[in-house]
Amino acid sequence: MAAGQGASASPPVTTSGRRRKHHRSGLERSRSRAGLVLVLPALVVVGALLIYPIGEAVYYSMTNWDGITSQWVGPSTYVTLFQNPLFWRVLQNNGLLLLSVPIAILVPLGIAAILHEHLWGWRFFRSVIFFPTAISWVVIGMVAVRVFATGGPINALLGGLGLKFLQIDYLEFPYSAMAAVDLTFVFSMVGTNMIIFLTGMSTIDPAIYEAAKLDGAGRVAAFRLVTMPLLKRYFQFSFVITVITAFGALFSLIFIMTGGGPGYGTTTLEFFVYQQAFSEGLFGTGAMLGVVLFVIMFGLFLVQARLLRGEN
Amino acid sequence: MAAERERIVGGDSASVGPQAPSAGSRRARFRVDRVSVILFIVMVVCSGVMLYPFGFMIVNSFRTENQFLTGVGFSAASWGVLFKDLPVGVELLNSALVCTAAILLILAWSSAAGFAFAKLKFRRQGVVFIAIIGCLMVPVQSIIIPEYVNLANVHLVNNYLGAILVYAALGTPFATFLMTVFFRGLPDELIEAGLCDGVSYPGAFLRIAVPMAMPALATVAVLQFIQIWDDLLIGLLFLQEPTNRTITVGLAVLSSGNVVSVPALMAGSVVSALPAVVVYLFFQRYLVRGLTMGAVR
Repeated sequence: MAAGQGASASPPVTTSGRRRKHHRSGLERSRSRAGLVLVLPALVVVGALLIYPIGEAVYYSMTNWDGITSQWVGPSTYVTLFQNPLFWRVLQNNGLLLLSVPIAILVPLGIAAILHEHLWGWRFFRSVIFFPTAISWVVIGMVAVRVFATGGPINALLGGLGLKFLQIDYLEFPYSAMAAVDLTFVFSMVGTNMIIFLTGMSTIDPAIYEAAKLDGAGRVAAFRLVTMPLLKRYFQFSFVITVITAFGALFSLIFIMTGGGPGYGTTTLEFFVYQQAFSEGLFGTGAMLGVVLFVIMFGLFLVQARLLRGEN
Repeated sequence: MAAERERIVGGDSASVGPQAPSAGSRRARFRVDRVSVILFIVMVVCSGVMLYPFGFMIVNSFRTENQFLTGVGFSAASWGVLFKDLPVGVELLNSALVCTAAILLILAWSSAAGFAFAKLKFRRQGVVFIAIIGCLMVPVQSIIIPEYVNLANVHLVNNYLGAILVYAALGTPFATFLMTVFFRGLPDELIEAGLCDGVSYPGAFLRIAVPMAMPALATVAVLQFIQIWDDLLIGLLFLQEPTNRTITVGLAVLSSGNVVSVPALMAGSVVSALPAVVVYLFFQRYLVRGLTMGAVR
């Protein structure tokens, strides 16, 4: 690739102080060669298995690829996609997923704030709350199906609260099923985001809090005025991780909980890619949806970066 | 606030303040006021919610279908059903094989690349770095379809090597990032001292840098283990035969078949979750470090 061409070019040698320069350039050259040799395996693998397929996806997105043969159609495939109401229905599910992102960030932020007070047993709580991070979506999804079913704990809880009219099988209707997926997603993000915020809080110098206290700030004001601004980059990281998970890592959860249904009720873009390609055999459409997903996620990160930079 | 600060100093090694904690009276410093009691109760409730799925799994795996529906009584019969319907042993071995091979590959080339980015200057370094690390932004679904077709064309679908390579490639960007961050923290003098002793650059990497990088390598290994062990999509596409399935895929397929009782599925969930849980319990520290290193730099 690009780096390979650079290897053969020799570094410039000047006439003055030739011996020292020559010696150093020899060392530089061996360092440069060693650098290339060491980076090459990773570069080859990433190039062949990650970068090259992106290029292919972009190309095949403008064809009618079925996995074996393909004919060039052109950018009009995108127009066709954007005119397809099903695409917008699926995108709506991604929107509903995005709505749960603030919850998936703020709930663990609250928990981290409480644990940062270092109340009795906080290390134990930290371990327990982080625990689901180790468990696969498949397993969590399998339990979640039972949790949201009629006769499950959610229905029992609603019954106990006297909300009997809300007792349904939540996976049976499109929007309630999407809400169930959202809730399960939030549940699974709590541990990761809590750890991110706890790490951030532990880097804040306690002296700052004392200064805030002297200025008359209470617990809540100190959190809002001292902790929050200092956690900015942790918010950024948490947002990126949460969006990557929501849009690109929920396949297994949806596969187990709903299979994308009822109807297209819980089919997100990510799941749609899989369905179009491997159930319908529309590999070109699948590749195109993958490209659209990539563009949307990239756009979200840009917006996020712009927003947080603007706050400075 | 003075009392609170003392508690922080006494309680958390990460935030060491100027005052030394006096070991004897640490417990007495945990404030017992109304707010703390309420927060404590909130944390107990949160913990209960987080542990609920695991408890649900274990309790219901010891029930028969009928006992599950009525919620009364216990039996180990479902565990027998599980081992009869799911080739648990083979699938666990498949998972272990795929995980181990992919992790070893990731460790090898991401540590080499990380060392090169942090300690060696070479041409087009910036472009190469961005090319590898930028792939962090690429969702699996954007590449999975061409990937599948490419690997099918070279007969790597339904072949352990195919799944191993895809897992290894997907793990490489973040692992390389972590290793670069780690090696940047190593003093240059260590490497230079080795070079003065006549060691080559690759020798300095293998004999000086790698032994010092053990904590970072452990972080990468733990993170990747959890990720690969728990993955469904790659396994589902690249290992489709009942004989080469991983445990997570086997369980998902069993679940989508709708023929096995819920308690047997719960027993399967316990089995599939257990290795990751054990890794979590022993190496939680490394997992935490891996997740937060991205935020620190």
